Amino acid sequence: MLNVRAEMRVIYGIILMIFFLFLVLPLGILVVRSFEGSQGFDIYNYVNILSNSELMTAFANSIKISSITAAITTILAFLIAYAFHFTNIFKPLKSAIKVGILIPMLLPTITYGFAIMYSFGNQGLITQMLGEPLFNIYGFNGLLLGYVIYTLPSAFLLINNSFSYIDKKFMIVSTLMMDSSMRSFYNTILRPMLGTLGGAFVLSFILSFTDYGIPASLGGTYSVVATQLYQVMLGTIPNFSDGAVIAVFMLLPALFAIILLKYLERFNFHYDKFTPIDIIQNRVRDSVLGFISIGVVVGMFSIFLVMFIAPFLTNFPYNLTFTFQHFVNVFTTSGLSIVYKNSIIVAIFTTVIGIVIAYCSAILNTRTSLKGRGTFDLVSMITNTLPGMVLGLSYLLLFNESSLKGTFIIIIFCNIVHYFTTPYLMAKNSLSKMNPTWETTGGLLGDSWFKTIYRVILPNSASTVTEMFSYYFINSMVTVSGIIFLVSAQTSLVSSEIKELQHFAKFNEIFVLSLLIFCTNIVVKLICDVIQKRQFQKT
Amino acid sequence: MEVSCLLKLEKISKQYDNKVVLDNISLEINKGEIVSLLGQSGSGKTTLLNIILGLIKMDKGRIIFDNEDLTNVKMRDRGFNIVFQDYALFPHLNAYDNIVYGLKNKRGLVTEEELKEYINFLELKPHLNKKISELSGGQKQRVALARTLVMKPKLLLLDEPLSALDGVIKESIKERIKSIAKEFQLTTIIVTHDPEEALTLSDKILIINQGNVSQFGTPHEIIHHPKNEFVKGFILKQLQIKRQNIFHLFGEQYA
Repeated sequence: MLNVRAEMRVIYGIILMIFFLFLVLPLGILVVRSFEGSQGFDIYNYVNILSNSELMTAFANSIKISSITAAITTILAFLIAYAFHFTNIFKPLKSAIKVGILIPMLLPTITYGFAIMYSFGNQGLITQMLGEPLFNIYGFNGLLLGYVIYTLPSAFLLINNSFSYIDKKFMIVSTLMMDSSMRSFYNTILRPMLGTLGGAFVLSFILSFTDYGIPASLGGTYSVVATQLYQVMLGTIPNFSDGAVIAVFMLLPALFAIILLKYLERFNFHYDKFTPIDIIQNRVRDSVLGFISIGVVVGMFSIFLVMFIAPFLTNFPYNLTFTFQHFVNVFTTSGLSIVYKNSIIVAIFTTVIGIVIAYCSAILNTRTSLKGRGTFDLVSMITNTLPGMVLGLSYLLLFNESSLKGTFIIIIFCNIVHYFTTPYLMAKNSLSKMNPTWETTGGLLGDSWFKTIYRVILPNSASTVTEMFSYYFINSMVTVSGIIFLVSAQTSLVSSEIKELQHFAKFNEIFVLSLLIFCTNIVVKLICDVIQKRQFQKT
Repeated sequence: MEVSCLLKLEKISKQYDNKVVLDNISLEINKGEIVSLLGQSGSGKTTLLNIILGLIKMDKGRIIFDNEDLTNVKMRDRGFNIVFQDYALFPHLNAYDNIVYGLKNKRGLVTEEELKEYINFLELKPHLNKKISELSGGQKQRVALARTLVMKPKLLLLDEPLSALDGVIKESIKERIKSIAKEFQLTTIIVTHDPEEALTLSDKILIINQGNVSQFGTPHEIIHHPKNEFVKGFILKQLQIKRQNIFHLFGEQYA
């Protein structure tokens, strides 16, 4: 590996400063504020919250519903990923399932809630088709449905990815060793996947525990921590200290998750190589799993269907004449088009600066012998489970008195830090696979370190950078929980505007804005996919 | 000595997307013989191994084993077994649990005594409690052999058994494979791309070139009566260069 150079230290210093300012300091202030009372520092706030039965109920509710969500999501994601890798389901159908299951990722969670309302509510599209409401959507049922839809794509991606690193040759060994199908399944599928399944469970739990969008629209009387935090902070009488305490409580499962994920790592094992094998014919298995996968995707699709129908009708479900009026309204009301512009600006800056930070961190971590390069792994571990709402709230506490208050800058950095883990790991993964002597080779051929990075390293990870782009962009378009405390009248974004429109029951506008986000994300995703494919073909 | 044909391949052909991988391969193997399938990468040797194993279906041809037609018999019912190039040992089980893995499904197949014999024969006793990741390449190879042998396969298939090993270990595993075939009267088929390996290890060699049998014979026949230019160019040339290099090192008097 290359000797440490001054320029590496400079970049390291800058990134460390950024994380100090936008991660360590805000969280520190959050903890300090949680102990701050009218008579100095004490644990009165905690005692107060712990004796508040309403909040404790919300906390218990959150844990309960997030656990159930995580269990359902992990099982469903496993089944679908299994169908994807180990059945002979018709190839185009497989692709359709893979695309279909990822659709929710392109929408803010708050939209799911409204889509569920318009599908399963008393006047909903699906209710109308079935003749009567299936279940009461406000409260537990609706939340559960929303959370599962929200967490399924991420859990699926995780498990699906892990499946491709399973050495399928072990199935031959298992067959030759006369394993029963149960034993074979355990030893060749379940056991190698155990760590990932645990990871998917933890991920789904954290996502639903900390999401604000779904309970904001569907919560009803079933109170969860996220809505409680919002009310305490932005209700009629904001209480910053109580908010800080609740945020600290929200961090507890995140801490627990970090420990659990660390523990789960020992279940992962590494195969020397991966051999693809022909999948054995089994019609029953294929049809059952195919049916489940299609069922889930179609189910999800049917819920979102209303979003594509309602805004084109005068007054769904009462007046079903076709109209463009709602779209015209959104685009002619200057307020809403400015909001859309804001979202795009934030997404672009988040993406560009985010990529630079994540990519540089990954380079320093994997391709230099810099002291303290492990810090970035620690940071990515923290941001992995850190709830967006907690991060946003801590920014609010830290920057409230500063000139950064109400600027795009804090929103952008909140997004960058909030979504740091995945792009960082993507870059790290790709950079660590590259030949470790490239920098030395470049140096011997007369390149400076920067020049080798630019001429050799960067072109060889172009595909990864594209992937990072689409991840940062899409997430910064859809996030609600991270920015809900940070937007001002001047910096309001589409996803937070949807929350505002809910107050005025302007559901058509909500769907129009959701469609805007959706279409923007689809376009970005498609462009990135095409670029990625090209890069892939080149190498 | 009475020579009985144990495994018989009859006119085996296989195509992938209109590309002929194997073309009309016929072969007879006697009991207790070690036979190598020798060819360059892409020659079709691995496909032939997988067809014998039952993992891949052939398009045309028949497989007869011990006078029984196995053409349409499933992999798990053929009673053959394989050791893969990278051994495919279960990483979550230790060496011993890997060895007895299959025995848990077939209780009573081997007695305690027999199991001990296999373990001693392969000199694995000191390594039984080790994790797979703690074993050396040669030890992994022996654990994989043990795991397969205790299942008492009717035919042993080895996929590039030496290519992941180096130097002295290679030679010792070679001897080991020979002694296994002798000790247990076990018919063994080996896939390899290395002529030296094939010719020093096996009783007979099937040289495959682009899906066709180039020559089938004993090492002696191949060295002294190469059938065609491919055998001369691909097989003999390599060995001659090696011989020359070694002579050069030691001096001609050792010839």
